[in-house]
Amino acid sequence: MLVVAAFTLAGTLTACSSSSDDVSSDSKQTIRFVWWGNEDRAAATKKVVAMFEKEHPNIKVQTEFSGYPAYVQKLTTQIAGGAAPDLLQLDRPTFGEYQQKRQLADLTPYVGKSLKTEKIPASLLAGGKADGKQYAMPAGLTTELFVYDKDIFAKAGVSIPEDGWTWKQFAADMTKVHTKTGQAGTTDFGWAIDWFESWLHQNGKQLYTSDRKLGFTEGDLEQYWSMLASMRKQKAVTAAEDTTKMDGSAQNSALVAKQSSSEIAYDSSVTSYVSTYQGKLGYAPLPSDSKTESGMAALPPVYYGVAKTSSHKDAAALLLDFILNDPEAGKALGATRGTPPNSDVAKTVCSSAASADKEVCDFQAKVSDKLSPSDTWLWPSGSSAIKSDFQRIYDDVIFGKSSVSAGAAKVVENAKQSLGQ
Amino acid sequence: MPTIARARSVGERAEASAAKVPAQPPQRRRQRSGAAYVFLSPWLIGAALLTVGPMLASLYLSFTDYNLFDTPRWVGLRNFERMFTQDDRYWNSVWVTVKFALISVPLKLAVALGIALLLNKPRRGTAFYRSAFYAPSLLGASVSVALVWRSLFGSNGAVDHFLGIFGIHVGSLVDQPRYALLTVIALAVWQFGAPMVIFLAGLKQVPSELYEAAALDGAGPARRFFSVTLPMITPVLLFNLVLEIIQAFQSFTGAFVIGSGRGGPSDSALLYTLYLYQRGFNNFEMGYASAMAWVLLVVIAIITVLLFRSSRKWVFYAGEGTR
Repeated sequence: MLVVAAFTLAGTLTACSSSSDDVSSDSKQTIRFVWWGNEDRAAATKKVVAMFEKEHPNIKVQTEFSGYPAYVQKLTTQIAGGAAPDLLQLDRPTFGEYQQKRQLADLTPYVGKSLKTEKIPASLLAGGKADGKQYAMPAGLTTELFVYDKDIFAKAGVSIPEDGWTWKQFAADMTKVHTKTGQAGTTDFGWAIDWFESWLHQNGKQLYTSDRKLGFTEGDLEQYWSMLASMRKQKAVTAAEDTTKMDGSAQNSALVAKQSSSEIAYDSSVTSYVSTYQGKLGYAPLPSDSKTESGMAALPPVYYGVAKTSSHKDAAALLLDFILNDPEAGKALGATRGTPPNSDVAKTVCSSAASADKEVCDFQAKVSDKLSPSDTWLWPSGSSAIKSDFQRIYDDVIFGKSSVSAGAAKVVENAKQSLGQ
Repeated sequence: MPTIARARSVGERAEASAAKVPAQPPQRRRQRSGAAYVFLSPWLIGAALLTVGPMLASLYLSFTDYNLFDTPRWVGLRNFERMFTQDDRYWNSVWVTVKFALISVPLKLAVALGIALLLNKPRRGTAFYRSAFYAPSLLGASVSVALVWRSLFGSNGAVDHFLGIFGIHVGSLVDQPRYALLTVIALAVWQFGAPMVIFLAGLKQVPSELYEAAALDGAGPARRFFSVTLPMITPVLLFNLVLEIIQAFQSFTGAFVIGSGRGGPSDSALLYTLYLYQRGFNNFEMGYASAMAWVLLVVIAIITVLLFRSSRKWVFYAGEGTR
């Protein structure tokens, strides 16, 4: 209720205060809004756009969406060609890429005015900040989690320790799952730089430093991949041919294909696990050797940004505010981009959530005090190349084409090159 | 050379008639050529704006460092230098592409010729079989077929199950560095329809008296094939070979989809164009990608020239014998 009141109040204020604000004038304008994602996200987003257009008859919103690889390629080409959309969806690599290539509008002037942020946790907002300014808004909240098949783990006699696993116990338990059930304990998680990032945080290090340099050494990666190599030898993790197809999607997940009994993932993918997995799933925090550092982040799964070249920034900011803060819009969007960033909206959505959405809400409520702010998780320009390079070299390692130490050295060498170091 | 001689005489006649044209007022000729340019203009504009322009731009970019956002920075030959001397993945992609071309092209042509021979004989339902065998070529370049391929050869795919009947357990072929390229080759070979149709046309041109004469001389089917059919269709063979080699070097979609967009596990199916794409669109190194594209163009040109040169030794044009 309060939010609605605040919204309408702010709306009327902007409407009568500024004559230069082209949104309040009668002039019709069209803005373009693009995102990537699957059908359910698209349907929800279109519904919200229609609600927005009803409230702002002078603004028309053109929407476009596609799969991620096509999206990035098209968007990059459009921006380079001077035809950037007004409002765009970003992730960590693209945010770093576009922000540092000065393609994103500084949203700071809108913050607290047409773009309200008081209900969005600072830890989440931090993820969209760079050089002290707000360049992007978090579209939701996600964090890392460990998804496992309850029945298989029960059959193997493995239960999650009360205060969480240490990596050593974890490795032993995953081996136990394999020896008792014949199925790999967990999906080999060495391929994704994301999970390595969590591990680094647990050890007080980070992937990238705040001045956009590489934050880890060859030795760190060697230690991490060696831990996985010994698990692989015990068949506690999936075989190379099952690991290589991992891309974070449920469609290619080894857990869903019943090649492994558990997986490390982002909780924003729980909904797709639940709809595709046959069996009962449980959720746990990541293993950690540290009592204080869980290595888990309060991350926006995706961000929204406004293009620097946009000639309708005010209208884009209005739409952005509507998406983030309007309770009805929040209800329509649900957890299609993680749980809503606005804490009031999140509360309403979570209280009425069912099945998978509820699991995400419950999990986040349980681990909320263990999450680190997202500003320490910022990815710089060049990070998308590093991410794919990381996975490619890990393939060399698991297929025996390269040793762990040679692979780690190669990752660091290439990463430094990608960062222009 | 009866056909060529005839063509020449037709040409001469045309020239002769053209020579008489000056009798017409020159103005009218100019008008006529003007009309020709008007009709050609859509093509000319398209060629200039969509082909020549971008090609020149890419030639310029190949000497620059260009990330799509900042202005291109001139680096001279550094892209080429880096490509040839410092980039292991570049040489790996060259090697994968050569392997792909060397295996897929002969196999594809052999299958195309074999099926064309079978379909050349009048049988019931030939028309149906011809279209059925041609269909994959129409669908071939599409992403959906490559996706089907991936699931056929993937984990729990049909191929895995089929081999399982014989007690062979290979798992997912597309996800193993040893086999990934083979599945891409299999997809390329499966699309043998286009060369098959061209072979069929060539086979129809072989004069039946040659077969009759060969049969009278007591030549069996194998002898007839190697002494009559094969020499008579060498022009078509050359045409198919050139076309397929060029296509093999530019092949992209199959490997892109089957290799999950990365070029297979551990770069095992990383074709040249795929690596070019990764450099350009994943790493935003448009200058480097342009340099790679120009090297590919030059290499394809050289291979084509060499093929045409060698063709003097093995391609037989009808009519040559009467010389």
